[in-house]
Amino acid sequence: MKIALTGNPNSGKTTLFNAITGKIEHVGNWPGVTVEKKEGDIKSSLNPGNANLTVVDLPGAYSMSPYTNEESITSDFVKNEAPDVIINIVDATNLSRSLFFTSQLTELGIPVVIALNKSDLNRKKGTVIDTPLLSESLKCPVIETVATGGGKNGLADLVDAVITVGTGKKKQAALHVRGAKNASTKEEVEAADKNRFAVVNEIVDQVERKKIDSSKQTAQDRLDRFVAHKWIGIPIFVAVIWLVFQVSQAWVGPPLADLLVGWIDAFYGLVEGAIGENANPFLASLLLDGIIGGVGAVVGFLPLIMVLFFMLALLEDCGYMARVAVVWDRFFKKIGLSGKSLIPMIVSTGCAIPGVMATRTIKNVRQRRTTAMLTPFMPCGAKLPIIALFAGVFFGENAWVGTSMYILAIVVIIISGLIIRKITGDTSQSYFIMELPEYRVPSIKRAALSMLNRAKAFIIKAGTIILICNAVVQILQTFNWSFQVVAESMPETSILASIASPIAVLFIPLGFGIWQFAAAAVTGFIAKENVVGTLAVTFAITNFIDVEELALVSGGSDVMTVMGIGAVAALSYLVFNLFTPPCFAAIGAMNSELEDKKWLWGAITFQLGMGYVLAFMVYQLGTLFTAGTLGSGFIGGLIACVLMVGYVVYLMRKGSRSAEAKLSKVA
Amino acid sequence: MTLLNGKNNRKYEISEIQANEEGMKEFLFTLGCYPGETVSIISQLASNLIINVKDARYSIDAHLASAIIVEPQLQAQTAPRLKQELVEQFA
Repeated sequence: MKIALTGNPNSGKTTLFNAITGKIEHVGNWPGVTVEKKEGDIKSSLNPGNANLTVVDLPGAYSMSPYTNEESITSDFVKNEAPDVIINIVDATNLSRSLFFTSQLTELGIPVVIALNKSDLNRKKGTVIDTPLLSESLKCPVIETVATGGGKNGLADLVDAVITVGTGKKKQAALHVRGAKNASTKEEVEAADKNRFAVVNEIVDQVERKKIDSSKQTAQDRLDRFVAHKWIGIPIFVAVIWLVFQVSQAWVGPPLADLLVGWIDAFYGLVEGAIGENANPFLASLLLDGIIGGVGAVVGFLPLIMVLFFMLALLEDCGYMARVAVVWDRFFKKIGLSGKSLIPMIVSTGCAIPGVMATRTIKNVRQRRTTAMLTPFMPCGAKLPIIALFAGVFFGENAWVGTSMYILAIVVIIISGLIIRKITGDTSQSYFIMELPEYRVPSIKRAALSMLNRAKAFIIKAGTIILICNAVVQILQTFNWSFQVVAESMPETSILASIASPIAVLFIPLGFGIWQFAAAAVTGFIAKENVVGTLAVTFAITNFIDVEELALVSGGSDVMTVMGIGAVAALSYLVFNLFTPPCFAAIGAMNSELEDKKWLWGAITFQLGMGYVLAFMVYQLGTLFTAGTLGSGFIGGLIACVLMVGYVVYLMRKGSRSAEAKLSKVA
Repeated sequence: MTLLNGKNNRKYEISEIQANEEGMKEFLFTLGCYPGETVSIISQLASNLIINVKDARYSIDAHLASAIIVEPQLQAQTAPRLKQELVEQFA
């Protein structure tokens, strides 16, 4: 039996989906978290008869006529995929709006079961809904649920009701709305929809008894006056974000990482001892340096990433995200975007893939594409190890390096937004409307689940893609083109070195024209975690985290000396890796959201150019300030940068001209 | 008048929606924001208006607020509801 989960945005569909299937899909307390349909089977504890029950979680929609892209997924699914039962999740705190969609769903003839969700919030507010009467008026079962709650949360009753109507095969009776049946023209539909609201309002008047008038100011509104205040809202946002990263990258993450790295080192020693002296040296080093060393270097950063995801989950759960969009709306308008563009960017600090997908909730095509293009500039969880590594090794764990990378990301996004607006020549302004969900105390349990889910995905990635990449890198640097083992004194004759060296030439003006760095930047496109892994393998370093013990497994000098670059070049390398195109998976997500090859290639080229120019500026200016001279390869790099900037300026002028032409045509 | 000229803590009746962006009028309709319905202004935040339509809070920008044409709701219309509330409170 196929069951569709439908309802208004932020009514708790995915929370209910997770609760009845046992899955851990991304939830958050703002409208538009789910932008794709997701499938799962109802867990056996709720399905004692072991019936075949598949649930499809759909993006939220206010009606059957879609407004944004993700809403059309929902109407298309219920219209075309013929689910056996529709569970309509109705936000009990907003009955009149929710039932508009409900009445449209009843017209499809598919049995509808209403989950009257958030009924706990109603109890708190003293609102009473006459469920039997509601069920009678809508001609379908109504079950009170609390998807976030344990114990008596109504979910078992809900599944029972679904099985009953699903096996009954009785056609759903439509709620009678005058003129709805034969409405075909726009005017007829409009008139019918007015009647629809009238019918809904009549039902609500009968079934709902309220104690609190929702149009009166509440404590939540008073809180909003601070949190979403024109000016106070900004330092609050900075403080919140700073706290998230401070906790994950300074207070809680690193001590845990130290502990983990200790275990990895011990494991390395254990394996080293177990294989003994007589093992094949190539295989031994493939296992030790390539696999354990390389994967270990990446896995060592797992605690930082886990804590980050825990903090982000709390942030998403409390209802703050929608307020952030409000506070930043006026600033994002200046660069041709809206406050809605900020939510994908915050999501991207975890991972750019859901971040890019979250742009789907933006209606305006150019704004959506621009946001999808700029969102990957936010440093994601996988870039965190690179930041932590360079901050730790070259800057003595100074927290400003990490924080400044996020600030730089915002600056880069603002500048890029302006550039893209000029290039497209689009000066249109769009409306901003955002539902403000109620604040709630974030659930520690849900944040912990989200964190563990993320950790699992990370470990799987480390054990597959990253392991394979590191093994390949190790093999390529062990052999030369005639498949002989490279002599230790001539590492530059290896296959890897000969492939990476020509690329490294391009990086001379950026301060890191060394083949190991070039190889790491390239493997970074497969997964950003690879940057750290490849550096570990090519420089034969296994411990990046415990800076006090920078002693290498082979040799005794520290990481900085082994890498052979200074702090300025290191910062340049960091900037380059953060602001070049994201990993292939994120580029794939960009491809599907941009829906246009010209935009996709434009985006990738733009990101490459941005990374290059920024790294060039950091290295050359940094060298000028610290050493008083220009860095190596200045002229070549300058020519490259001037050409890139020049081309962008040309495109911007062309864009402005076409915008003026458009304006004069209108006038 | 438009919603933009409205005052906090007041209820207004929508008389017209003049949003020219495609689909916006229809979208507002599905939220219950259409001529004849009531909208109230909760507060003004960061150049946005916080409004209440049906039982939900929305933040809208000045651009959209100026596209919603409203009439101040007469006291007489809100009175019966107020009275009902009082009755309930003391019941």
